[in-house]
Order: sequence, then structure tokens, then C-alpha cells
Amino acid sequence: MMRNAARKIYIFLIFIFLYAPIIALIVLSFNASRTRAKWGGFTLKWYGELFQNKVILQALWNTLAIALLSALIATVIGTIACISMQGMKRRNRTILMGITNIPMLNAEIVTGISLMLLFISLGIKFGFMTILLAHITFNIPYVILSVMPRMKQLNPSTYEAALDLGASHMQAFFKVVFPDILPGILSGSLMAFTMSLDDFIITHFTKGPGIDTLSTKIYTEVKKGIKPEMYALSSLIFITVLILLILVNCTPKTEPKKEITERSKNSSKKWIAAVVCVILCIVAVFGFSTFKSNQSNEVYVFNWGEYIDPEVLVMFEEETGIKVIYDEYETNEIMYPKVEAGTSAYDVICPSDYMIQKMIENDLLQELDFDNMPNAVANIGAQYYEQSAAFDPGNKYCVPYCWGTVGILYNKTMVEEPVDSWSILWDEKYANNILMQDSVRDAFMVGLKLNGFSMNTLNENELQIAKEALIKQKPLVQAYVVDQVRDKMIGGEAALGVIYSGEAIYTQQENADLEYVIPKEGTNVWIDGWVVPKNAPNKKNAEIFIDYMCREDIALMNFEYITYSTPNEAARALIEDEEIRNSSIAFPDLSQYQNLETFNYLGEDGDELYNSLWKEAMSY
Amino acid sequence: MNKKMLSAPFLFWSALFIIIPLCMVFYYGLTDKNGAFTLENVMAIATPEHSKALWEALKLSVISTIICLLLAYPLAMILCNLNVNQNSFIIMIFVLPMWMNFLLRTLAWQTLLEKTGVINSVLGFFHLPTLNIINTPSAIVLGMVYNFLPFMVLPLYNVLVKIDRNVINAARDLGANELQTFMKIIFPLSLPGMFSGITMVFVPALTTFVISKMLGGSKILLIGNIIEQEFTQTGNWNLGSGLSIVLMLFIIFNMVISTVTDKDGEVNAL
Repeated sequence: MMRNAARKIYIFLIFIFLYAPIIALIVLSFNASRTRAKWGGFTLKWYGELFQNKVILQALWNTLAIALLSALIATVIGTIACISMQGMKRRNRTILMGITNIPMLNAEIVTGISLMLLFISLGIKFGFMTILLAHITFNIPYVILSVMPRMKQLNPSTYEAALDLGASHMQAFFKVVFPDILPGILSGSLMAFTMSLDDFIITHFTKGPGIDTLSTKIYTEVKKGIKPEMYALSSLIFITVLILLILVNCTPKTEPKKEITERSKNSSKKWIAAVVCVILCIVAVFGFSTFKSNQSNEVYVFNWGEYIDPEVLVMFEEETGIKVIYDEYETNEIMYPKVEAGTSAYDVICPSDYMIQKMIENDLLQELDFDNMPNAVANIGAQYYEQSAAFDPGNKYCVPYCWGTVGILYNKTMVEEPVDSWSILWDEKYANNILMQDSVRDAFMVGLKLNGFSMNTLNENELQIAKEALIKQKPLVQAYVVDQVRDKMIGGEAALGVIYSGEAIYTQQENADLEYVIPKEGTNVWIDGWVVPKNAPNKKNAEIFIDYMCREDIALMNFEYITYSTPNEAARALIEDEEIRNSSIAFPDLSQYQNLETFNYLGEDGDELYNSLWKEAMSY
Repeated sequence: MNKKMLSAPFLFWSALFIIIPLCMVFYYGLTDKNGAFTLENVMAIATPEHSKALWEALKLSVISTIICLLLAYPLAMILCNLNVNQNSFIIMIFVLPMWMNFLLRTLAWQTLLEKTGVINSVLGFFHLPTLNIINTPSAIVLGMVYNFLPFMVLPLYNVLVKIDRNVINAARDLGANELQTFMKIIFPLSLPGMFSGITMVFVPALTTFVISKMLGGSKILLIGNIIEQEFTQTGNWNLGSGLSIVLMLFIIFNMVISTVTDKDGEVNAL
């Protein structure tokens, strides 16, 4: 008895371990607050909004279509391979099985990378097709490994007997062999479907612009805080599968005494499988057709995460009839290789100052025609063009979109002394309460400014000192994050965080205890601007898009949504709330501060130097 | 003759999407930016930052694999003895969490483990000391164990459930006690499942970059993180490929060990 109880407790504990996070997610889907960190009461609204959210639904279609098609194709190829392997010599079979095992046993990251290299060298445009091919590749082994054992149990005489009795090869296969291996095929394709659904890493390396599966969508969202609709969707999927599973298992079964019932079980399973397949096919076809539609008139936009009001995109599509294909990136460094590799052709990108300079110098951008963009000329303040001339001489390539500073966001209830210096980020009192930026230049800026150096230095001594400072700071840092600073500070997870000024207003709205300062040692003043890359397929549409973003009412909408300082003077004049219009955080008077700088592109060697020092600091 | 033709699509597919891509990784890994042969990218593993990352990854993945094994073995044995006829049901219970996206599940652990997270709120409510493991190696190990435990349970369960009851009963009849039965009969028979389980946990744990990023707060760089950064941020594909080659050596090493012990040479896991 005791033993039985102990067993049950053990199983119970494992189940809690396996399902606790899932329960947490389901609970979060009913959370009225937008951020994960705060419980704002019970609500069902995310479930309603989910069905309005075109982006998430599109990602769902993509995920299902890819999972279904790849499982289907992999099942066909895998099953045929199994049949052929049956008649092979042992040595050949071992070799083939070895190859089959490669994608399963190899690291996913290597598989992903190797496929990425292949697609690049073949010159295939990254998109739906590349993801599908990659998924088929890693799904085939799952099919083979579950069909093969069934195949081995087959009695080859039955097939021959069928032939002797006058069946054709096809008939013999479908009437004799197929029913026996069907359970293996079904479980293999189900496994393949599940794996494809859950895959992130391989998709991460093979996806192209404007196409997201749920995994990659979530990955980009993780950084800014997941949209609650995503929790709602996952909960729905999970519960649907759970109910299906219970239904399948509760269908009455007669004594499962192996062989005899296996047949009848198979036939009922066959029906279920058939129905599921039909439904999923419809879903896939529908998803595929939405994906294919409207090819001619589009604009591919590549922007920072949460850097636009989604409503604006809808309005743009309605007013101009141009379809926006929208993608997000987390840091300049992540964006650059994608554009440089040329596999993803975007029309409009929104990099920061030094990255624009790098792109100009590496001949990746094309000049803009300002005659096509009257709003960009009229509404953007002259001083911002002056500023951007520092990295874009003659203002040929870039239209400023947002600007701001980098500073310290702190929680007044957790920090006693006045915050006015970067050095507080080295105060041991706040160990494990500090959030740093997880990007090379921003992190080094803090280390360099702390020691009074220029943040564009190429002096190796100065950089070594900054690196040592970052290493010294590492034990005190709670986490290196980019956009997550926002959510964590709102939730009171940390006392101090390095953050872009644009996030300050939003976080203060959510948590009144937060305060933003620009440290006295100086900081980074940055500008993000719209640029058009050389390989943009729709330059005209790109300029229409940029111009639209500069229209005062649109710029105002964006400002109110993302709360980053806008260089759009006309939009600023429209801000109703006087406090915000004259806010020193949103629109600081830069002449008050000393030692302000803007990042410069430091050349390839400079980049390499910073990168290697950063890697040393982070792996220390 | 006819049957040989049937293998053509699979052969074509494997050549194009498995063999050639791997060759490309080797090509990039063994050349420099100008396309000249070099071993520099592979040897780069010896630099302190890379070897540290590899060492951390090895350490954490070995620990996770051991924990998974220790958790999964008793579990698989209990599940076998439950006499549940619904074999597929048990398997589904472990596959089911996979339908909730892997990233979301990991993110959920963040919510649970955070300083002001769910677990600490509960502990605080009972005036118990708080649990501070988020952004530490322990949190990464927890994430690995959580994500990969099913890959250990399923193969173990599959081999254990296939052991003929009569063999165990025979051992009993011949006077073996429970421990002896386990050591001499059950354990040796479960080895193939155990080895495929170990492979299926160890390899993804060794190479992950997502778990360490999400639960480790980017404070602990694993070899997977370095490779991912080389490809997506620094843009040094040669170095990234070189390090991937090193990673593959560990995987091949692991594969050789498991195929030597698993006579069929097949992972009969799932």
C-alpha cells in the first residue's frame, strides 16, 4: 500500500512539473493586464481580440500549413524509403539508416545553419518554401523510424501470396502491406506534425521576410513582452488537443487482447485520421491561398520590435491599396546580416545612426527621392536632418523616424540615493537588481562613458578598461536583455535598468514608481531613420510608405503608441496633453546635457574589435 | 529492380538536404573569408571565451541528462507496472505539452521563477525563504530537464514495456530478489532505450541557445549561443561553421557510443 501511494505521489509530482508552466500560461491568458508581470483581474477579452489579430492568425495558418504539408510529404517519402529499404542488402540499409539518423541526432542549430547555407548558395528566396523544405527534411526520420519496425514485422510471404492470387503490385501493396504498416505511418506522421509544430530553431534560420510561424512570432515577441492574444491562442490549441485526446481514448474498447482488436481499432483510427486529415487539408489550402494572394502591390517593411502602431499599417493598406509585409528585429546587429546576405529583400528598414552609416559605406542603400515624399520634407524638423547629416552626409539616404537618449530607469521605492551617474550600476547594494543592455555598442557605451571615454573610441586601452568594468559588473547584473527591460521594470523585478528614453514614458504610465535619468557622464543620442536598401523590389511603394509615416496624424498615432520621441514637428504640435508635449523625457533639451554623442560606424576592424571584446566579457 | 527505384526520392532528398548542406558547413568551417583553407576556425575553440562556453554547455547538459535519467527511470518503471492498457495514452501525456509552444513553455518558467514570480509569491505567503534561481545555471538546467524529459521517458518506457513478464517471473522463480532481478534482468534489457534517451536529451541540451537566453538572462553563454551569434549578429559564418564542426565531433562521439551499445544501430525511440 505504502509503495503504491509513493508511486502515485511520484507520478503526481512529475505531472505538476510538466504541466505547471502550461497552467501558468492558461492563467495568463485571462489576465487583464497587458504585461506578464502584473495581474490585472480576470478577463476574456484576449480571446475575442485573438480573432481580430490578423498577424497571429496568419502565423497560425503558416504554422499549420507547414506542419501539415511537411508531415504529409515526409510521410510519403519516408514510407516509400522504408519499402525500398526492405529489399536492400544489409550494408546499404545500414548506410541509409545512418543518413536518416543524421537530422535527428545532429544538433538542430547545425541542421538549421547547414540548410541556410544551402539555400543561400542555391539562391532560393527565403520564405514559405525554404521553411517547408527544411521541415520535410527533419520530419522524414521520424516517419522512417516509426514505419521501419512495422515493416520488419511483416511477413513477406503475404505480399507474394497476394501476387500469386492475381493482385497487381499496387493492389498487393494497398490491400496487404499498407493496412499492416498503417499504424506506424499514422504515428510517424503525427510525430512529424508535432515536431514541425514545435520547431523553432530550424525555422529561425530558414525563414524569410514577412513569414512567421507561431514559434518565430513568439520569439520576436518574447523580447517586448508577449501579446496576451498569444497566450489565448496557445491555451485554445492545448485544450483542443486535450479534448481530442480524451475523446479518442474514451471511445469504448473491447478487451484489448492484442491481434483481434487491433484490426477493429485500426479501422476506427483510420476514420479518425481521415477526418482529421481532411479538416487540416482545408485549413492548409485556405492558409496557402491567403499567403499567395495579392502579390503585385506590396511593401516589405523591416522594423524594430513594437516600433509602430499596428493600426497605422491597417490604415496604410486601406488608403493606398499596398499590402504591407511587416517583419521585426531586435537589434541593429541582428538586422544587418539579413540584409547583407541579400536573401531577404526588404523595401524599407529602420536602422539606427551608426548602422545607417555602415550600410551606406558598404553600398547597401539607395538614395531617396524626396520629391516623392512631401511630408518628409515639410514635417520633419530641420535640426533632425542636421543631426542625421552626421552619418548620412547630404541627407540622401535617410528620413528620421524616432530619436532619443539612453539612460537609467530606476524604481524610486527600491533606490534610496539620487541617481545621476552610471556608477550606480556598479554599486554592490543593487546586486542582482540591475538590468543591462544585451547589445555590443549599448553595453560598451555604458562602460566607456563611466570611465569618461568616448563611446566611439578605437583606443584599445580604453576599450580594455571598459571591458574590465563590464566584467566587474557582471556578478551584479540580474540579466542582459534588450526590450525586456520594460516588462521587468514594470513588474518590479529589478531596481535599475539601462533603457531607451522612448520606453520611459510607457513604463511610467504602467508603474508610477519609475523614473528616468540621463547620467551626468553623458550618453548616447540616437536617431533611427527609414532607409531603402539597394535590392528593394518596390522602391516606389517604399517611398509612399515613408511619406505616409511622416504625415502628422500618422506620426502622432505612432508617437502615442510607442512613446518614442518623434522628430515630426507637425505631429508634436498636435499632442493634446501639454505635459507630454513639453515633457523633458520625450523632448529633452539636449543643450542641457554634457558629453552627448552619437554612435559612429567604426569600420570592419572596429566592429570585430568590439565584438571580440564583448564576447570575452560575456563569457567571462 | 523495381524496389531499388523506390529509394530514389529519399536518396535524392537526403543528398540535397542532408549531405550537401553538411558539406557546406565543413567548407565554411575549414576556409577563411577569402576561401583559402585554414584550421583557424576550428582551432578557435581553444580561445578562453569559446572553450569556456563549450565547457559550460557540456557541464550543464551532462547534469541535465543525469537528472533526466534519474527522474525518468523510476517513472518509466512505474508507468509500466500501472497496467494501463492504453499505451498510446501514456505516450500522449508526455507529447501533449509539445503542443504548447516550446518558447512559451520556457517563458512560463520565467514567470514562475522570477523574483516576484508565482513560486516566490506562494513561498512568501507562507513566510518561507524565496527561491532565487532565475538567471543562474540552475534555471538553465531546470529548463533543459523540463523540455527534454519526455525524450528520456518515452524510449525508456518503450523498452521496459516490451520486456517479457515471463523473463522476470522466471528470475523470481529461480530465487532472485527484487534488486537482483533489476540488476541482472531489467536494467541490461533497458540499456538500448536508455542510450537513445541519453542521446536525445544530451544533444539538444548541449546545443541549445534559447533556454540559456531565456532562463539564464544571457549571463551564461553556451556554445550554442556563440554559434548563433556568429551567424545572426557578428556575421562571421566561417567561425560559426568552424565551431559547429567542433560541436558535431561531440555528437558523433555520443552517437558512436550509443550505436556500439545498441546493436540494432537504430534509435527505436519514438
